Amino acid sequence: MKLRGVQQTKWWGVVVFIAAILIFPLIVTQSFFITQATFAGIYAIIAIGLGLLMGYAGQISLGQAAFYGVGAYTTSILTATWGWSPWLSLPIALLVPALLAIVMGYTMSRLSGYYLAMATLALGIIVHGLLVEGKGITMGASGFYGIPQLSLFGMTINQGVPYYFLVWFFVLLVLILSLNIVHSRVGRALRSIHDSEIASSSMGVNTGRYKMQVFILSASFAGLAGWLFAHMSYSISPSAFTFDASILFLAMVVLGGSGSVWGALIGALLIRMIGITVHTLGEQFSFITSDSEHVIYGLILILVVIFMPKGLFPTVIDWFKNTSIKRAEKKSSVPVTPIKQSVSE
Amino acid sequence: MQDFLQFTLTGITIGSIYAIVALGFVTIYSVTKVINLAQGEFVMLGGLTMFSLVSVGVPYWLSFIATILFVTFIGWLMENLLIRRAKGADAISLIILTIGTSIFIRGISSMVWGKDQHTVAPFTKNTPVEIGGASITPQSIWVILIMLLVVGLMYMFIDKTMLGKAFQASSVNPMAARLMGISPKRMSSFSFVLSAALGAIAGLAIAPIIFPAYDMGAMLGIKGFSAAILGGLGSAPGAVIGGLLIGLFESMGAGYISSGMKDIITFSIFLLILIIRPNGILGEKTIGKGGL
Repeated sequence: MKLRGVQQTKWWGVVVFIAAILIFPLIVTQSFFITQATFAGIYAIIAIGLGLLMGYAGQISLGQAAFYGVGAYTTSILTATWGWSPWLSLPIALLVPALLAIVMGYTMSRLSGYYLAMATLALGIIVHGLLVEGKGITMGASGFYGIPQLSLFGMTINQGVPYYFLVWFFVLLVLILSLNIVHSRVGRALRSIHDSEIASSSMGVNTGRYKMQVFILSASFAGLAGWLFAHMSYSISPSAFTFDASILFLAMVVLGGSGSVWGALIGALLIRMIGITVHTLGEQFSFITSDSEHVIYGLILILVVIFMPKGLFPTVIDWFKNTSIKRAEKKSSVPVTPIKQSVSE
Repeated sequence: MQDFLQFTLTGITIGSIYAIVALGFVTIYSVTKVINLAQGEFVMLGGLTMFSLVSVGVPYWLSFIATILFVTFIGWLMENLLIRRAKGADAISLIILTIGTSIFIRGISSMVWGKDQHTVAPFTKNTPVEIGGASITPQSIWVILIMLLVVGLMYMFIDKTMLGKAFQASSVNPMAARLMGISPKRMSSFSFVLSAALGAIAGLAIAPIIFPAYDMGAMLGIKGFSAAILGGLGSAPGAVIGGLLIGLFESMGAGYISSGMKDIITFSIFLLILIIRPNGILGEKTIGKGGL
């Protein structure tokens, strides 16, 4: 039975997604693009978490890079300094950012709106500062090096195609988990919070608890991305976890569409593709520099907010649905009731 | 004690700049409910435009006025081309729109002015003055005076002129203001013009001290925003107090602990104050939710 307002996970989307992951390394073989695709996967994990937070819980985080950095440094210190196995440090790299989010969430539970946005921004600056200044533990601004590679069943997972598959396997897990969450009772509660917090709280939804849970989840996702990033590279430095990185994650979510799990994923891919395109063009034409990349990011953010306030993915899906309804109307000459419910898968 | 006085003077100087930037945030926020994270870019544009004009030989005080006019024009352009078109967007989207604008302006500026820091001559001869064992440069005194002047003028304007009253009305109750014949469109446009002018003035005042570069706007914007939040978003006296406090935390942190730790200390104290007073020092309960 299909209930109004109840959305179900469309599994064909997941199947197409798996096929795309498997086919990509067969078509594209240059190691540069494989590495970029691996990075895109790492960013996609963060973007999906941030998308849940923004699109479903209606909260904005300007400091998501803090959780990403904490995850990366947690695993680096555990494995390189203390000699843990990377697999053993994985749960810790998820837990520490989550704990940070819990502390933030509880102390900041009275904050909302712009105050919360500024509080997350402050957290991001504090964490970045501590990574630079805590020289004894994090090796400071020059970066932490000597992070061991991952190995599975005695085989090292090298950078390149093996690591690409590892990262996208985790993206798949995160994607399925998130789709299930948004299509469950929790997801409906979250969407109601996003639409009207007062209305949903008077309907008996514990708004504070749900918002907290999503915040913790998004922090853990960022921690997972940090873990993947650290073990992909031999060294990491605080410059990867700045305010600019937080803004980049925000840009991914907005571009793809914040009310959509798929949107966040697509946003992460698109932002990465834009970066690569500008970079490759820059190699051919000397007047295109890394500055142009910033100008283009800025322009994209501006244009998307003005022309597609919902983001790329939901806008395209809505357009597609509406045209198919019009076609159906033409054929049957009986008006078909338009789909009022916007996609928020 | 001598150190303390020195750090206080430094803190008040930089705090004055944060206060002016924070006033810019409050001006736009109170009328349009938009948080303009491109506010720091106005400051950067102020400093760098001044540099360019002076270096092509325009007289100092003429370039001063030309710079304010130019940055004000950019603010007007931003409101007319971008903010006005996205009126239906929600609060998160509007923040992102201003972030996009800020990245865009910064990108263009790095193409125009390069990545180097530039030098701008101080307003007057710059021999440090001794006050009770602490030294202060005349330019720092200028910065503090300009802040006081700006605060005074803003007060006069908001409280004593008809335009200022209209401005206040549309921030308190936009609907009633509209019924009284005040155009919200014009007020929104005017708030951007005014806060761009404030940004330009801050940029002009600070340029001889911090050597402007294309990327100075980001941190100034963040500090100004935190000052506005700390004082209580929507409150002009709050913005000034918040700005001075942030400046003082920063110079005390840099002076007594280490300059690398100053941001960590500043933002930690900032978070602590927010935990105690979630609506800022002078904020009211209903202000600052901004639909988020």
